[in-house]
Formats: sequence, C-alpha cells, structure tokens
Amino acid sequence: MFRFIFERLSGKRCLCLTACLAASGLLLLSTAAAPAAAAEEKAPGRQLADQATKQRHFWNTVDHSKLKALQQVFTSGDQITRACLSCHTKADQQLKKTFHWTWTDPNSPPNDRKGKAQYSVNNFCLSSNAMHDHHCSECHIGWAGKGKAAAIDCLRCHGQKKFNFEEAFGDYEAFSTSSDPDDKEMAKEAQAEIQEAAQAVGRPTRRNCGSCHFSGGGGDGVKHGDLDSSMTTPHKSLDVHMGIDGQNFQCVRCHTTINHNVAGRFYATPAAKNRKSLIENDLSPKIMCESCHSAKPHKAGSKMNDHTDKVACQTCHIPTVARVLPVQMWWDWSQAGKMKNGKPYEVKGPYDRPTYVSTKGDTRWAKNVRPEYYWYSGSLSGPTLKDSIDPTKIIRLAWPVGNRGNHNARIFPFHVHRGKQPYDIERSKLLAPLLSGEHGYWTTFNWQDAIARGQKYLDLPFSGKYGFVKTEYVFPSTHMVAPKDQALACSECHTRPHSRLANLTGFYMPGRDRIKAVDTGGWLLVLGCLAAVLLHGFGRFIFKKNGGKK
Amino acid sequence: MKKLIITAIAVLFAFSSASVCLASAKANARKGKYTYRKVYKSCHKRGEVESATPFLSPDTKTMAQWDRVFEEKDFDQFKCKEEWSKLSDKDLENIHAYLRAHAADSPSPAKCK
Repeated sequence: MFRFIFERLSGKRCLCLTACLAASGLLLLSTAAAPAAAAEEKAPGRQLADQATKQRHFWNTVDHSKLKALQQVFTSGDQITRACLSCHTKADQQLKKTFHWTWTDPNSPPNDRKGKAQYSVNNFCLSSNAMHDHHCSECHIGWAGKGKAAAIDCLRCHGQKKFNFEEAFGDYEAFSTSSDPDDKEMAKEAQAEIQEAAQAVGRPTRRNCGSCHFSGGGGDGVKHGDLDSSMTTPHKSLDVHMGIDGQNFQCVRCHTTINHNVAGRFYATPAAKNRKSLIENDLSPKIMCESCHSAKPHKAGSKMNDHTDKVACQTCHIPTVARVLPVQMWWDWSQAGKMKNGKPYEVKGPYDRPTYVSTKGDTRWAKNVRPEYYWYSGSLSGPTLKDSIDPTKIIRLAWPVGNRGNHNARIFPFHVHRGKQPYDIERSKLLAPLLSGEHGYWTTFNWQDAIARGQKYLDLPFSGKYGFVKTEYVFPSTHMVAPKDQALACSECHTRPHSRLANLTGFYMPGRDRIKAVDTGGWLLVLGCLAAVLLHGFGRFIFKKNGGKK
Repeated sequence: MKKLIITAIAVLFAFSSASVCLASAKANARKGKYTYRKVYKSCHKRGEVESATPFLSPDTKTMAQWDRVFEEKDFDQFKCKEEWSKLSDKDLENIHAYLRAHAADSPSPAKCK
C-alpha cells in the first residue's frame, strides 16, 4: 500500500510531504508544551483575588487587658457592655440599627414586615413569636437571651475566649456573699476568669459567627447545609477560602462591615446591589464572588467565562454541601407528641442524628447533598404568618426570586429543607405555636394551647382548628467552595437525561436539550459532506487526474 | 429464703442509692467545679499534665458511672495522684456532685473549659 502511494508521488511532492510531517510534529510539540506554561500562569480571577487578599495579618493597637474599664469587678453582662461603650461610644447606637439586632428586614413593607422578630415563618422552629420564645432568643446578641430588652452583648461577636459568663456571674455571686474563706478565694478566681474573658476581644472569628449560624434551627447543621461546626476549623478541601491549611479566611473577610452592618442577604434584601469587582469600586462590600474574582475569572478563551452571566460561580464550585457533617433534610411536626411509657423519647438514626424526637417529630438527615438549582437574583420570597396559603399545595416559605430574563439572575445552587407544619384550617394561614418555656409545646405537648399562646404574642387570631401542611424552605449554598479540581465538569449539566439542571426549562442547553429537526438536519449535512469528499477523492484516484499538471 | 435474699438486696440497693443522692444533695457542686479545676491547675504547674484544664469532663460519664467511681474511690483514672490524695472528704463530695450534675445523661451535660 505505502509502496503504491510513494510510487505515485513525485520527488517534489515527497519533499512537500516531509515538510508537512515535520511541521505537524513541531505543532504537536508546541501544543504539548503549552499546558505546562499555562499551569504556571494563573487565571485572571485568581490573580485578582490574590492581590485583594494579599495582606493576611491583622493588627491591633489596643491591649484590652491594660484598660482600667475592663479591670473592674463585673457582676453582670450589662456592666461589661457599659465598660465597652465607655470607649466605643457609638457601637450600640450603630448595632441597634442593624439586622443582627432588629431581626427585621428594613426593606420589607411596613404592613408586611419580614424577619424573625416579625411575621416570618420557617419550617424549623417555625417562629420566634415576636421574640417571646426564649429558646430562639438565645441567639440574639443581647445578654442572657433576654432579646431586645437586654444590653448588647459585644462579646458574642468580639469575645475571643469561649466562656460561659452567666455561669461565672452566678458562681461569683454565690461565693462572694459567703463568709467561708475558701469561698472568698473561689470568688476571686471566678472574677479573674470573668475579667480575663472580658479583656480577650478582637475581630469576629469563625467561632463567633458560628456560635449562632452553625446551629441555626436548633442544632449543628440543622439549617444550612453549607454552614455547620465543621466550618469552625475547616480544611481547604471543605472550603478553599476558609481552610486553615489555605487562605484561613474569617467570615468577616467577605462579610465586610460598615457601622456594624454586616454584608449579607436577609429575606428579600440581596447581599449586594451590584456585582462590581474591587477594581471597579474598591469600597463596595466583598460579599460577591465577583468582588475579588471579577466577572471573567477564567483564563482568556475559556468557555467557562461565557457562562458567568447566567450561571453563578457557586453552581460549579460547590458540587455538594454537608460534606463533613450531615444536614437536616426533613422535619415533620405532625408526628410530634408520641410517647413511650408515658414519656417523651428519641430515636437515633444514621450519622448519630435523631430520626424521631417526641418534642419535634420526624427528621431526616443526609450527607454530601447535591444542591437543587434555580434562577436567583439574590432575593427570597415567601408567605408570612399574615398571608393566606393554599393548603392543597406545597407551601414555599422561602423561594428564590428570579428568571432567565432578569439580567441580575443566575442559576444558583440551593439546599432545600422540606417538612410539615401547623396551619389554621379555617383561616388558611400558617401558625406560630409557642415551643419553649413552661407553657410551650415542648413542655405541655398540647398543640391547641401552644398555638393559642404563640399567636397571641404576635397579636394574630387562631380559629381553634389546626392541621399540618407540607412546606419547603431554600438556603442559597454559597459556602463550602471546593478546590477547583472538584468543580463540576461540563457533563454534569450538559447531558441527558441526568443533567443537574434538568428542572430548568424554557431555554436551549446544548447536550441536555434536543430539537429533532435540527439534529437530523445537522447529521444529514455532516454525512453529505463526508460523502462528497469521499466521492471527489475516489473520482480523482480512479481517473488519475491531478488538476491538469504533470 | 430466696425471697428474703432478694428483699435484702433491694433494701440495700435502695439504702445505698438514697445515701448517694443525699450526699450529692448536700454537697456543693459549684464549689466542686472550682476544686476540680484547682487540682489540675496545680498538677499542670507541677508538670504532670499537659493542660491546666481537667481532661475528664463531666459529660464523659453517666451519672451512675460517676457514682461508681466515687463509691469505689477509683481515682487513678484522674491522674494527679498527689493533688487527689490531699482532697478532703468534703472536697470529694463536692467534685462528685459537680461531675454528676453535668454527666452525659444529666439535664445539662458539660465539658470542662
């Protein structure tokens, strides 16, 4: 065969072929060397982020242990707050205007206020009953879970020492009022510990924020999926930003703060109004991925850059959530109240998590959870306790706002928590039973009474007839950003029939969708071209024509 | 005869349980916490243990397990023999009350800080 071909080639042609082969070899060599060079070159988004976070060491100009205000005898939390405010005079005025204090979305309409302190309802502990449920108030940043009635607790966010102040105050009071010399000694010890903890202050750490946000919904990993105690000291494999073996970011590195207002989303209010990078506006919050990575973070010519106007960074870079600890997926309040031998009980299931608790009902947990994907403009919407619902349908208590036509909306990953919770059969509205405390459901196991009390705190009516309705609540997955080698491959979405984006319709997505006529036409064109080339070659070969040249 | 033995054991058990409960009730758990911590601060100073924080937290055992430890005076597991040998009966009662009050199956399990 080869002999035959060479016989048919003239000397010039032979030279030409050799040159072509050499050139192809060089081309192959150069393309093989290209990835090595590219490996050294960082993507623009990475370069920009490295520059934005170059300074990793923070400094403090105050040794708080040397301040007289923090060397006094403290017998209550309010006293510590007064000591803080003696220098940081504006701190409480600033803080009391923030969402962290008010638990109210300032941008919600006055007649339909949203927030935990208002009429918002979720499918975890349902409602804070206008902050009368003390179990919920434990996370409010005032002292001793007293809600807004207490002074602000600066140490909840700034305390660098894990310390039980309430217990220590109790110890100090008991020992200092005793006449026993041993007790007096212990009082001194207790007071020294209180002062040491009060003096240990600094910028908020992951532990500070996590003391509430990792245990939202009443326990570790109940709520978010991308926030649980595994994020206190995570490894890079869990979160590339916060990994202690990597960038070791604290939460406030991205959740930047102005006048104690911490950047972030709450209810319908998005985390940021725009997606500007720090080059475009260096005073904008760093809360968006684009802030540090820009809107075109991948290397020039990368197809991924063409996705960023429609697909959020999180979609590809957070392949799963709850990668270390499980997250709660289901909470069925309708099953609560069962007893064993007249007593409440608990059943443990996989991951050492409860699958049934008499006070709470059925729960289900999962690990390595694949998110669900929806269009999202940064706002969540859902009915409050004042809104009417259709109990024949699943009620979406918090659901992403956005569609493909919205220029600010992206396809975004969400952890979705589902469950069943009480509603008023006659009024077709969700209900807010009081849960904790002497008269709460967790003590009395009496829905009728707990609902009546909870509704009263909110000044809302209750017909006396209750049932249970299915609900859904989404949490945008934005933490637990995986290393780049674990980011989603194209085939996770551009595939049929198990595309991650199978539920998003109304647009054509290559690989996932097909239009039969276009597919058939395309294949006909390809086959036609192939046939034409073969026919042409065959004809030239048979008739030994070379364009008239010899 | 069999009935008599069972009754005797039951009475003995009830008596010992009651005495443990009464002893715990009288003891001062608050004081026990500070005495317990003091043991390890001193022991750490001496260099026997790495941390000044007690390595056995109340929630590492159940109430019944703590009762057994103090009934049998099985204090070897606590290390720091020198400090433990200096504790008075009252100190031991207080420490027992503290550990029991925050045991794994108590209403408020606790870790040492």
